[in-house]
Amino acid sequence: MTEHHNIKRINPRRAYEIMTNGVKRITLGLNSDYVAHEVSLHQTSNKPLRSPKKAEKRVLVIAHSERGTLDDHAKQCLAAAAILADAETAVVALVLGELQEDLSNAGVDEVLVMDTLDYQTFQPDIELAFVKNIITSLQPSRIFMPDNLIGDGDLGRRLIASQPEKLAATHVIEINNAHIANYQLGGNAIALASFPYIVLLAPDAADTSLPFSASALAIDPLTANQQMRHAQTPSYASLGMQTIDAAKIALEEADFIVSAGNGVSNVQTLQTLAAALDAAVGASRVAVDDGKFSRDKQIGATGKTVSASTYFAIGISGALQHLQGIKDCRHVIAINRDHSAAIVKRANLSLIGDAEEIMQALISAIAEAKITAITDVKLATQEAA
Amino acid sequence: MSIKNIAALVSVGRHPVSGEARHCRNDSLAMTLGLALTSHLNATETNTVSFKVLHAGNANNTALKDYLALGASHIDMIDVAAESLIIDALAANLTNTDLILTGSRAENGLDSGMLPYQLAEKLGFSLVANALAIQQTTDGLTGGLEVLQFLPKGKRRSVTVQLPAVIVVHPLAPVELRHAYARQVTGTINQQASPLTHATPQEKTLKWQTETILRKPIKLKARENKSGHARMLSATVSENKGGAVVIEGNSVEKAQVILGYLREHRLINF
Ligand SMILES: Cc1cc2nc3c(=O)[nH]c(=O)nc-3n(C[C@H](O)[C@H](O)[C@H](O)COP(=O)(O)OP(=O)(O)OC[C@H]3O[C@@H](n4cnc5c(N)ncnc54)[C@H](O)[C@@H]3O)c2cc1C
Ligand SMILES: Nc1ncnc2c1ncn2[C@@H]1O[C@H](COP(=O)(O)O)[C@@H](O)[C@H]1O
Repeated sequence: MTEHHNIKRINPRRAYEIMTNGVKRITLGLNSDYVAHEVSLHQTSNKPLRSPKKAEKRVLVIAHSERGTLDDHAKQCLAAAAILADAETAVVALVLGELQEDLSNAGVDEVLVMDTLDYQTFQPDIELAFVKNIITSLQPSRIFMPDNLIGDGDLGRRLIASQPEKLAATHVIEINNAHIANYQLGGNAIALASFPYIVLLAPDAADTSLPFSASALAIDPLTANQQMRHAQTPSYASLGMQTIDAAKIALEEADFIVSAGNGVSNVQTLQTLAAALDAAVGASRVAVDDGKFSRDKQIGATGKTVSASTYFAIGISGALQHLQGIKDCRHVIAINRDHSAAIVKRANLSLIGDAEEIMQALISAIAEAKITAITDVKLATQEAA
Repeated sequence: MSIKNIAALVSVGRHPVSGEARHCRNDSLAMTLGLALTSHLNATETNTVSFKVLHAGNANNTALKDYLALGASHIDMIDVAAESLIIDALAANLTNTDLILTGSRAENGLDSGMLPYQLAEKLGFSLVANALAIQQTTDGLTGGLEVLQFLPKGKRRSVTVQLPAVIVVHPLAPVELRHAYARQVTGTINQQASPLTHATPQEKTLKWQTETILRKPIKLKARENKSGHARMLSATVSENKGGAVVIEGNSVEKAQVILGYLREHRLINF
């Protein structure tokens, strides 16, 4: 573009980005002529790259995935590894189970996925043999794993026990470059030690928000598959998974919670919806105080802290005391009449409208979807026959 | 292989407030499960099953009496000179055992939950953790144990494991503990000196330093040392929080949006 006059011209098509909420945002200081690049829901990265220029060393983070994603606890391990890694160290994530999310915002430089080692199948000896092969080939300087109950706490302890010559710590609640710490003596003392080779990290020891992103390059899983063949014949077998009826399960353990607030006028509709979704029922304090639900259903600062994957907040304003109880919930869906309610800022998806009407519509939609699913299966089996 | 010898490992617990020595609840669950399985097998099988309760540590511990009150008629106590000898002392005592039950985490030491794993490694036993219930597999061919495992979010998993095995019991195992003073009086504690006087070539261990004051742990956070522009950018990124908001459309359409979201993230299976 040539300037004919000395008048400062403003490019009418300045560079902008489309944010996740659909709003265009102009970034001052960006000089390209016309840039319209979409920021997808899953990738909001215009952060600087942390990735090491020349990776001399590697740290390894091992975690099982669930439904194609890593949970917050696993992400905390990745964040800890990335924060503590120096400029020459690459963070490698070894994901056991399938992975369908991008880990660049989790600080990962290289990703290795072994989808056959899903946490639902109990195969600890195969997993251990595989992980040890990976360790032998990567030679990581440190290993991080979430100390959880979906297999990593168990696998981590097997790994530690199998190499007694290496230093390790479990239940680690505090981590920095100088030391690690955990509770000992039945939680009556905090104990510090220098950084070991293997760290099993307790939940919430690290903040997942990172000021940088990383390349998250996928490493060929084929090499991993080849390594799998060396595993011995297992002395373990899985007979199958069971899920406890959502209505009977303790709220703290529930994976899907439909929760009612002051905006729910008809409790029966909410119960029907919860049953249709096979979800447990929770409530805000106001709904409990009104006598609509028993005290053990209350979620929040003075109620229960829940960690469901899906939290469906219906007619709940999202007061701070309530949000405290759902901080570990991954997917929050809200129905509220008021689009400025605090819950809308917390929710991943918000529907603005009347709770009763949307619940009724959703109950019908679910019933329809289930019928279609059943007929699809029937048709498929008929065709197969 | 049918089960002949069962052992439960018990450690000394600690009262959360007074700090007084007492039984460790996790270990009591393991012991009670072992007692129940033993009496069940003795009632249904032809061969007799023996059960022992084992502790390695300091002889003068009154807390062990709690385990007598909770149902152990007899406790074997191995007197070990140092903590580093515990695993070896237990392993030497347990070589002929088919099934070892332990708690998930002790309350009076490092509490790492590592002991069962180190023991299984040393003895070459299989190991299943987070056990809620155990039973002998019905089909004699596999000759093992069926274990119901705890998984978070209302999930449970049934697995089988070959014997000999170490089973680590989960704190939520549905076991009722019954305390009876009479049993505490009649029960016996048999003390035996450890044959080991010094440890086999020591495995490396971390040197822990215990702080005197119990404080909250400090969360690891990324340090921000960036240019002003970069800071602005990351501020807009976090501002971006909060998901999609659907205002337009009727209830039926909104219901479809919800279903779509649940399906996209595979939160439902219909
Ligand atoms: C010390 C302390 C501890 C507390 N502990 C807790 C706690 O543990 N748990 C807890 O929940 N609260 C707790 N609270 C209370 C908390 O501050 C809020 O008052 C409470 O969470 C509000 O409940 P709510 O969102 O159901 O009701 P409201 O604040 O009345 O909100 C109702 C929401 O529903 C919407 N609505 C109304 N009608 C409809 C309709 N027809 N369709 C759709 N939307 C509709 C409204 O727009 C509004 O956003 C505590 C408070 C204090 C001071
Ligand atoms: N000194 C001990 N004697 C016998 N069993 C023990 C001893 N210490 C720990 N255990 C067992 O090992 C489990 C895990 O302990 P820890 O690895 O120390 O957290 C406990 O729940 C006990 O069942």
